[in-house]
Amino acid sequence: MPSKNIIEIENLHKSYSGHKALEDINLNIKKSKIFGLLGPNGAGKTTLIRIINQIMKPDSGTIKFDGEILSRKHVYSIGYLPEERGLYKKMKVGEQALYLAQLKGLSKKEAKEKLNYWFEKLQVTNWWHKRIEDLSKGMAQKIQFITTILHEPKVIILDEPLSGLDPANSLLIKKEILELKKKKTSIILSTHDMNSVEEICDEAAIINKSKKIIQGNIEDLKERYQDNLWSIEYIGNQMSFSNAVWGGWEIIKHHRVNEKNNKAEIKLFDNLTINQFTKGIIDHVEIVEIRKKTPSIQDVFLKATANE
Amino acid sequence: MNKIGLIISREYTTRVRKKSFILMSLLGPLLIVGFIMLTAYLKKGNKENYEILVVDESHLFDSILRNSTKYHLQWAPKDKSYDDIQKIFKADEKLDLLVYLPINLIKTNSMTAKCLYKDIPSTGAQKHLSSIINEAIELYRVTYNKIDISTYKSIKTSINLDVVDIENKANKNIQRKAIVGMVFSIFIYIFIFMYSLQVMRGVIEEKTNRIVEIIISSVSSFQLMMGKIIGVGLVGITQFLIWSLVTTIMSFTVLPRFITDKYNPEFQFSSEEISKNNTLMNTSNEIIQFIIYEIQWPYLIFFFILFFIGGYLLYSGLMAAIGSAVDEEADTQQFLIPLTIPMVFALMMAGKVIDNPSSSLAFWLSEIPFTSPIIMIIRIAMGIGDSSVEIWEIILSLFLLIITFIGTTWISGKIYRKGILSYGKKASYSDIFKWLKL
Repeated sequence: MPSKNIIEIENLHKSYSGHKALEDINLNIKKSKIFGLLGPNGAGKTTLIRIINQIMKPDSGTIKFDGEILSRKHVYSIGYLPEERGLYKKMKVGEQALYLAQLKGLSKKEAKEKLNYWFEKLQVTNWWHKRIEDLSKGMAQKIQFITTILHEPKVIILDEPLSGLDPANSLLIKKEILELKKKKTSIILSTHDMNSVEEICDEAAIINKSKKIIQGNIEDLKERYQDNLWSIEYIGNQMSFSNAVWGGWEIIKHHRVNEKNNKAEIKLFDNLTINQFTKGIIDHVEIVEIRKKTPSIQDVFLKATANE
Repeated sequence: MNKIGLIISREYTTRVRKKSFILMSLLGPLLIVGFIMLTAYLKKGNKENYEILVVDESHLFDSILRNSTKYHLQWAPKDKSYDDIQKIFKADEKLDLLVYLPINLIKTNSMTAKCLYKDIPSTGAQKHLSSIINEAIELYRVTYNKIDISTYKSIKTSINLDVVDIENKANKNIQRKAIVGMVFSIFIYIFIFMYSLQVMRGVIEEKTNRIVEIIISSVSSFQLMMGKIIGVGLVGITQFLIWSLVTTIMSFTVLPRFITDKYNPEFQFSSEEISKNNTLMNTSNEIIQFIIYEIQWPYLIFFFILFFIGGYLLYSGLMAAIGSAVDEEADTQQFLIPLTIPMVFALMMAGKVIDNPSSSLAFWLSEIPFTSPIIMIIRIAMGIGDSSVEIWEIILSLFLLIITFIGTTWISGKIYRKGILSYGKKASYSDIFKWLKL
């Protein structure tokens, strides 16, 4: 039976010269999803990515790629854009892209056809004969993005793909990432840019101090780290609002919106539901809006890593 | 095309297409031929004519001292003292040398003649002076002793000694072939050093560019290292073949025209070894004949390429490891020094090897892999056979070179694999040992 996961990592350990880089990592990455790999600097993300890319060997543990034990043949099914990016400065853009594509197993002819397609799509056709050193950083990054995805790998690993890009190009790349997902490509996105995680990722895992802390669907993660915070807008006296329900909640913030309206941010404790609370206040104030406050991925990240 | 082939072809084509490679391919032979022409020219272009003032205390030399336009002798006034004549010599700008022949010089062998100079005369001029003085003294003594001049001339000889190997008569005067070996040995040194440094620079470039991570996600680090080493090595061989070809063509076209066949007593092949062994090659004809016929070119070029490949593989693997351990070229110094010492030592010992090519020093230096490419090529140039180097020694040397190369490449591969992924920190020897253990 084909696995629904493209990558399955079990009990992965890696340490170098006494320092533990990864400790008992278990991770499943679903097919055709965008997976956010999050974690503070030095948490072990790069090591994990290098192991998936077979640049490094783990000390122990197994990795399965589409149901098979990860082996040399899978390098053709992976596209990798490392964080520390670079290309041969003196080589021409076209030659370089051809070379990298051939290393990923494409024939010269195939590579040329695909490059033509992508160069046109990302509007870089007239750079073919330029040297990398004559391109700006953002331009070089576009070229590198193309070389990463050119061989149509099943998995694309992008380490900070948007850093250094201007907003227009950033948008362009995001659009391409989403389009790749539509084409059933699985994408691993390692980044510190929480906004883009929220925007495009389906799932995420947070790694901290060489261990995986949490993993799951973005919405589930937010749910898990929500603090039962609610934002309530009402018309009426603040005293009546505060005294309407006794116990089981507290006001985090309170402010006046205009002459009539007040807005409160409250936290409910476990013994009180929002329905009970609403019943309690409904006779004292006029409710304009009640909205649950969900944490951002940034909040989740900060909380998850702070708890450790 | 397989992966390693792709890497080799990239390393090769990007280098061969560089302007600097094309320039070097043409400039190299020009420099070689130019250097030979320059030595020839300098030999000729030494001070052409000397005005020599001769103080002859015995007054016996004036009729018998050979005079020529090149070494033009004029006689100091007989009524002036030696001191006064020295003043005249100093004052007269036209005079180059002052030769003082003391009164008893012609009669006894215990006296010495003196030559005073303003600018030091060439060794050729010095030799000429002592030879004409000796000749004059001999002539005087011949007449004095009433010996017939023609008898004397028939007695006086100047023979060359041919030193010949009894087993192989072709091995004649092998020391003078050493000069060619020496040139090849310097070439091997330059080529090994130049191209293994290129490997090191290439590794540093990939590491600082960070492209290495992309490449080793497609190929193994060992494939990348070997692809680079082989690609750059092929560039070296290409360069050498171009140089040989262009030099050969130039030697047959340009050089003979420049070196005229006129008898020129001052022209000698610029090696002390040759004059020491009294096998003077006085004419450029002889030099050309020597270069064309006496040197076993096919062997020499064949073994040059073999030993270049062996030595290059040995050193470039280690250079790749060094390149992987540092972040920039400036940090390579501490690792490069131990690598260059054996090669420089070999070059320093070359003279001793030439002097006695079958000594145990020559044997060991041409067997130990770190020096063998440089020393063995000298011994090969001097002739394969009993007198210089035997074929089994060459085979053993190549065998040891290959074994060591495999060993160092294995070690280098381990260092390289760790090194290229460790950024920001200058590796120390202890880091490298740690990488080796892992």
